Amino acid sequence: MIRRRFPWLSYLVVVTGAVLTVVPFLDMVMTSFKGPGESGTLPYRFLPEAFDLSNYRAAFDQLDLPVLFRNSVIATALITGSVLLTSSLAGYALAKLRFPGRDFIFRLVLSTMMFPPFLFFIPHFLILVHWPLAGGNDLFGRGGAGLTVSIAALAMPFLVNGFGIFLMRQFMVSIPDEVLEAARIDGAGEFAVWWRIVVPQTKPVLVTLGLLTFVDAWNEYIWALLVSTANPDVMTLPVGIQLLQDYVDPTRTMPIVMAGLVLSILPVLILFLLLQKYYIRGVMLSGLK
Amino acid sequence: MTPSRRTRTPNGGLSRRHFALSLPSALLASGCAAPHQGTGRPGDPIVLTLLSHYASGEAKAALQGPVDAWNATHERVKVRTKAVEFTDLLTTFMVRQAAGQGADILHPYCLWNGQLVQAGVLRPAPSEHAEEITRGYGEAAVAASSVGGKVYGYPTEVQTYALYCNRRLLREAGIDGPPRTWPELEETAQRTARRDRYGNTLVQGFGLSTYDDSTTVGQTLALLNAAGGRFVSADGRRTAIDSPAGRAVFDLEHRLVVNGASAPGVNVYKAFPSGQVAMVVSAGWWTGSLKALMGKDYRDVGVAPVPVPGADDKRATLSTGFMLGVNAASEYPREAWEFLRWLNAEKVRVKSAAKGATATRMSSLQVSVGSMTGRADDMRTLLGKGSDPNLRPFLDALAYAVPEPNVPGAQQAKSLLRKNIEALWTGQQSVDDALRTTRRQVDQEVSRSW
Amino acid sequence: MVNTLAPVTTGRVAHGAAVDGRSRTRRRRQAVVAYLFLAPALLFFALFLILPLGFALLLSMSRWAGFDLGDIDPVGLDNFTGLFADGSTFLAPILTNTLLFALGTVALALAGSVLVATCIDKLRFQGLWRTLYFLPIVTTVVAVGNVWKYMYEPGGLVNGVLNALGLGSVAFLQDPDTALPSVVVVQAWASVGSAILILTAGLKSVPESYYEAAALDGAGPVTVFWKITLPLLRPSLLFVCITQFLTGLQSFALIIVMTKGGPGDATDVAALEMYRQAFSYGDWGTASAAAFVLFVVVLGVTLVQLWIFRRKGEDA
Repeated sequence: MIRRRFPWLSYLVVVTGAVLTVVPFLDMVMTSFKGPGESGTLPYRFLPEAFDLSNYRAAFDQLDLPVLFRNSVIATALITGSVLLTSSLAGYALAKLRFPGRDFIFRLVLSTMMFPPFLFFIPHFLILVHWPLAGGNDLFGRGGAGLTVSIAALAMPFLVNGFGIFLMRQFMVSIPDEVLEAARIDGAGEFAVWWRIVVPQTKPVLVTLGLLTFVDAWNEYIWALLVSTANPDVMTLPVGIQLLQDYVDPTRTMPIVMAGLVLSILPVLILFLLLQKYYIRGVMLSGLK
Repeated sequence: MTPSRRTRTPNGGLSRRHFALSLPSALLASGCAAPHQGTGRPGDPIVLTLLSHYASGEAKAALQGPVDAWNATHERVKVRTKAVEFTDLLTTFMVRQAAGQGADILHPYCLWNGQLVQAGVLRPAPSEHAEEITRGYGEAAVAASSVGGKVYGYPTEVQTYALYCNRRLLREAGIDGPPRTWPELEETAQRTARRDRYGNTLVQGFGLSTYDDSTTVGQTLALLNAAGGRFVSADGRRTAIDSPAGRAVFDLEHRLVVNGASAPGVNVYKAFPSGQVAMVVSAGWWTGSLKALMGKDYRDVGVAPVPVPGADDKRATLSTGFMLGVNAASEYPREAWEFLRWLNAEKVRVKSAAKGATATRMSSLQVSVGSMTGRADDMRTLLGKGSDPNLRPFLDALAYAVPEPNVPGAQQAKSLLRKNIEALWTGQQSVDDALRTTRRQVDQEVSRSW
Repeated sequence: MVNTLAPVTTGRVAHGAAVDGRSRTRRRRQAVVAYLFLAPALLFFALFLILPLGFALLLSMSRWAGFDLGDIDPVGLDNFTGLFADGSTFLAPILTNTLLFALGTVALALAGSVLVATCIDKLRFQGLWRTLYFLPIVTTVVAVGNVWKYMYEPGGLVNGVLNALGLGSVAFLQDPDTALPSVVVVQAWASVGSAILILTAGLKSVPESYYEAAALDGAGPVTVFWKITLPLLRPSLLFVCITQFLTGLQSFALIIVMTKGGPGDATDVAALEMYRQAFSYGDWGTASAAAFVLFVVVLGVTLVQLWIFRRKGEDA
């Protein structure tokens, strides 16, 4: 209605909103080029005096960016791979296999989504620390550092995702039983049925779930901060860049931090721009819960 | 790695839980290396880790110097330094300790000693080291490094608080020298403050900054001590700030903000070096960074003792400090204490000073970064002719400074005090409310922590 | 919303006695396979959901320094009473801040998303708008927090704009009166994209004939909005409301990055307090107790959500 009578008003609202959304990003990019003493001074100026790359170089000097990048990539890959695999397997079992206790397990999976993550920070940390036979621990989880010595600690609490299982199950239910039955009659085992028929048919959902998981894992901050505090060797990009604030002289802090931030959000931004159709569908699907 | 390393099983529940945990780890067969220092092979050196906040710049280099010297001359015991920023230091101690990755040697802020001792992180100094410490350091430094009458480490950096002023700004406002009393302080602050037409602060008369603990709580406690007051009672279980002295400090700060002489939203660490703050109470370590940041302009910086309420009042100020202690979980406490004695107590010749003059390696280290230790004799040797005259007032203050309380819960008490001070500065609380709320909250926190 | 507990289509009915034996062994084999497929997930839930819940509950009723499992000292409900004792800051301002933060985020994000969603529908360049509005959602909280923190500074963009308009500067994050609202704005800014998306989808499901009928009746745009759009959008609105509210109750990453709870305790929220009590002060008992108190709040909201949706399902 509004849009029909006052199309310009709609444009005004949408464009204003878009500008408000994008300006902080532009400010980040602009600031990342500002020279010493150019940022944080009055009066405020949006554009840098020159597009100077020295802040990017400084970010590399201050931080071991390749290592941070590697840690982020490994943790994200572990989480995404594991979530896809476990969600698909468990979703298939819950959707297409008949076995005692199925309804109970499905309800359990649903109920896992009710527990907020903050409830688990403390016990997850302690469980990883006291993980038996890891990091110098004895059989009873004492005496060593447990899994906190390993990069796996970054990924462990996120390896399985109740929403992922639920999502896969909902999509697999709609696969016709006849197709699966035909494969079984041809002598295919359940694993083969899953791999050859179910996985290909659910590829778009897998891409969606994978993308959602990837973005969350790449951007995860609190848990990574905690694990990196215990063991700085496994520090991820967001944690490292937050640390940048402390390391450089105050007149250049912000430009260098911004340069680090630009570098750290680039991978996920590119992936999002390439696959946004899938990502946006994922956000819609999360409304299914 | 064998069950025999399990020292005790207090109850069945625990061991059942452990059993439940052990199963999947066998399944995962994670190949994680033990985090422990050294290789453990006979003949290989013991490696001690030292965790401090000397994370960057000259402090990092200054500590690395003596550590390298030790490593070059000691075959059996090597020391490896690790560092995080000060704001992350306590959390890092606690998290790494919980994760079984605590360093052998810790460099805590003395404020935390109560908490760290109560949690079983710190090991008491063996008697010969305790004697050495009591003998070698000033009273405030020893008190700050002790908990419940037991000494827990070698005091290192000792900071006293004094008044920094920008002499150029004072001169421009027609004021000859730094204020000596609170009325003078207020007048100087009023006359030096300036704002632009939008209300942006151009110059703060007296820098009250909500930037961090040391600028909010540090300067408030320095003024409190100067007024003869205390933050925590002698037994450490109650707060003592709700007193006439406490009220006088809160009143003073409140007036400075209300009258526009102070702007708590401005970060003084950035504003003072750029000549936007006339006066601020801060600790001695700042001289070093100011020198580096301000370059030529540093000659404008002057330092004077913290002003006292009346002309006849006795001088007093706050002293804070760090110490080097040994982790209760360290496998090599004897070696760690030996290294600490070498670093903190052994006197070596000082090249720059008069012939035959000696000081500890730690004292030389601290002075080289514009800081101090609690060893007055070393300080007199090292701060001879040619050193920054601005350090003198901080050295003089060693004699009359009051140590920051280090009871269990002291960090939380400090945070609570800070919250209430900031609420006072920003007009959310009246002086009365601030005093009352601080008392209520700190009393609850400190009593809970015991 | 989909009824998630609907029974799975059971497929075939038993065919007859001849296939009975074969199908029974097959069914048994299927059960084994099913449990094999579920094993990783079930093992994970046992280790990272059920065990931690029990552990957290134990800790919330214990005093513990956090280092040796043997030193856990049960103290009953002391940690909980301590949280609500006189002089404790947990109830006010921490829990109050938490609720204000969540409510503020919901209000702002909802207002913004309703406005944009009603305007964006059928506009040209849909893809472009969607991409732009989605940028904050895929950006790490460290970037969002730092950029906004920098924009709020005296020499930053926001104050620069205010000064250019002839207005005085505001110490957004330093002044306790403005700190919490300032952080709320950022949280809403960061989450408005997904709300727009869900509302847009909701709007698309409103049949065009309703609007045509309203136009015939001569209803003005405001009437149409209040009488047709909003009521039909109610399920989507409710969903956005509740998910945003739940997120708001729990999130503290943005606050860690931007203010660390300050100035004073102006932006201190329950989850942040939990984090600090455990990992800075080593008071794992109080931290776990705080976590459970917040969990009760979150659970309450979740149950209300379930109740509302179930009731709606019956209405339909």
